[in-house]
Amino acid sequence: MRSGVAKGRPTLLIVDDEAQILSALKRSLRREGYEIVAVESAAAALRILDERCVDVILSDHKMPGMSGVQLLARAAEIRPDTVRMLITGWTHEIPAERLEEFGICALVTKPWDDAKLKATLREVMGTGQGSSPREGG
Amino acid sequence: MKRAVAEVQIIVARSIESTAPDPTSALRRLGSDARIEVLHSAAACRARCRDGSVDLIVAEAALGDECWKLLEEFGPKGPPVIVVNRDGNEYAALEAFKRGAADCVVAGDEFADVLPVVALEQIQRWRSAHDQDVAERRIRDLESYNQNIIQNLNSALLVVDLDGRIVFSNPPAEEILGESAETLRGRPIWPWFAGIPRDEIHVARTLETGERFKGLESTLTRADGTTVPIGISSAPVSDGAGNKLGAVAIFSDLTEIKLLRRKVLQTEKMASIGQLAAGIAHEINNPMGFIHANLFQMAEYLTDLRRAWDEVGALQAAVAGGDLADIQRSSEDLAAVSKEVDVAFVLSDFAKAIRESQEGSERIRHIVNDLRDFSHRDSEHPVLADINQFLDSTAGIVWPMMKHLVVLEKEYGDLPKVYCYPMQLQQVFMNLLVNAYQAIEERIADSGETGTIWLRTEPRSGGVAIIVKDTGAGIAAENLDRIFDPFFTTKKVGMGTGLGLSTCFNIVERHGGSLVAESEPGVATAFTVWLPGADLERCAD
Repeated sequence: MRSGVAKGRPTLLIVDDEAQILSALKRSLRREGYEIVAVESAAAALRILDERCVDVILSDHKMPGMSGVQLLARAAEIRPDTVRMLITGWTHEIPAERLEEFGICALVTKPWDDAKLKATLREVMGTGQGSSPREGG
Repeated sequence: MKRAVAEVQIIVARSIESTAPDPTSALRRLGSDARIEVLHSAAACRARCRDGSVDLIVAEAALGDECWKLLEEFGPKGPPVIVVNRDGNEYAALEAFKRGAADCVVAGDEFADVLPVVALEQIQRWRSAHDQDVAERRIRDLESYNQNIIQNLNSALLVVDLDGRIVFSNPPAEEILGESAETLRGRPIWPWFAGIPRDEIHVARTLETGERFKGLESTLTRADGTTVPIGISSAPVSDGAGNKLGAVAIFSDLTEIKLLRRKVLQTEKMASIGQLAAGIAHEINNPMGFIHANLFQMAEYLTDLRRAWDEVGALQAAVAGGDLADIQRSSEDLAAVSKEVDVAFVLSDFAKAIRESQEGSERIRHIVNDLRDFSHRDSEHPVLADINQFLDSTAGIVWPMMKHLVVLEKEYGDLPKVYCYPMQLQQVFMNLLVNAYQAIEERIADSGETGTIWLRTEPRSGGVAIIVKDTGAGIAAENLDRIFDPFFTTKKVGMGTGLGLSTCFNIVERHGGSLVAESEPGVATAFTVWLPGADLERCAD
């Protein structure tokens, strides 16, 4: 468990403009022991980040109003301790060398592999933000 | 054409020792400009006549053999030779005529009066024969020149009379019509336009009303039933006095051009599809993502439920056994397992997962259908269609790729139906939308702003107007004229083929409509497609 976050269930904020994706992600991660907060827009995610500490943000990229990359860049300013992950089918649009610049520590490709997603989450939760960007999925 | 007699060139062939009256003085009466030369031998005359400028030779019979030589030389082909006899020797005159003299004159009392008259007559006869000769040669030259042009023309050429019977055909025409010149001559051309109403056959209209047509498309049907797409021009033919004679038609085989055009269209469509593939992959990706995850979860749910069901079975067996303690224990086990797996939640979420997965697969089915429609070759004939519906379904296809950067404002008016090739039009709409999106992307990149695309339709001038307007980077004034040129692009390599807008332009033109671009760089850019309504015009092609 990382410093600065109260002991107890780690919080996972998932952001996707598609309710069914949120629903499936919640289903996949139900038994992983996270407190899951699911929101359908970048704006709603920013409101959550204003209110409380979040251990990990897992965000979609192509969303109306604000993209996932922009959201994670903002999140890096508001909550620099938060682990920031992007989950998208458009991984080719985000060059690996710019991940850090966008404040992204892991990139998950849609459709995701349940086991790999869980493993990636466990890994980033365990090691915190210090690790280098990697590809999961 | 006729030169004045003043320019007349006359040669007088005269023996040096001649004592006979000099024809020169008699000939002077023709006028001061009649140029008269005196020569003394047939050879000199021959040399002088070489340039073709001599109009008349007046030869004295007294030259003897030299005179006969002259007649031999010029008698048959001119210029005319008038033989002057010293006396009225009829035998000599007859001999001169026999040898080709144009006339004979006796150098008697009336010589000075007669010679100029005879000379003038001969000169005029010679001149008119000569002019006619020249004219005939010119006509022959012109004819063979025309013939040459017509025979070597790459286009087919047909001349028909007022009844539409073939008067003339050139080899390309014979090739396209599938028959030889001999079998074509005199035949009416109508069977080659089988199936086309007479008042829609261009040549027929030219014959009837004198209308001229230029580069229009039609179809020829050969005797064996094969058809050839042609581009045809026709114009009325009349004689010099303005009397109608028939019509001339120039046409060419468009088979290859049509194939090429179709290929270009297909190529552009494939390019558009390539551009879209990523967008569609994403659209399929999202439902695939949750269906995939849901299936795994449902498998786990099933395992959970099976565990609970096993406990139910154990409880049933205990009930059947009748042992109260067994029943009690089984019941507690069932309750524990049910609690552990959270049966109530699993049951309701299982149902939800199925429902969501069904929605997801329905979405995929829809996308695949759209894509299949799009990649399908278009129908041969235009169909009556609702443009708003096409526009909206196209917007639906491209929306996912742009939704993070774009606000889409739709405003659909009440439109008359339009005859169109639906897929071609959808391609136009898609190109315009993707262009608008790329222009916005170029302008705002990752700045966090969003752009706006307005999609508006409205009835206009008996047809429909479709306006795609965006707040993208815009088009510089100097490029505005070129954006519809094939291969013109300002996009980065790999971002565009440069065929998008030219293809749009061609498609819209084929529908008898227009495509206009306006741009105020930095403010807004609008593309307006106008299509004629169904009652205005059936579309061409």
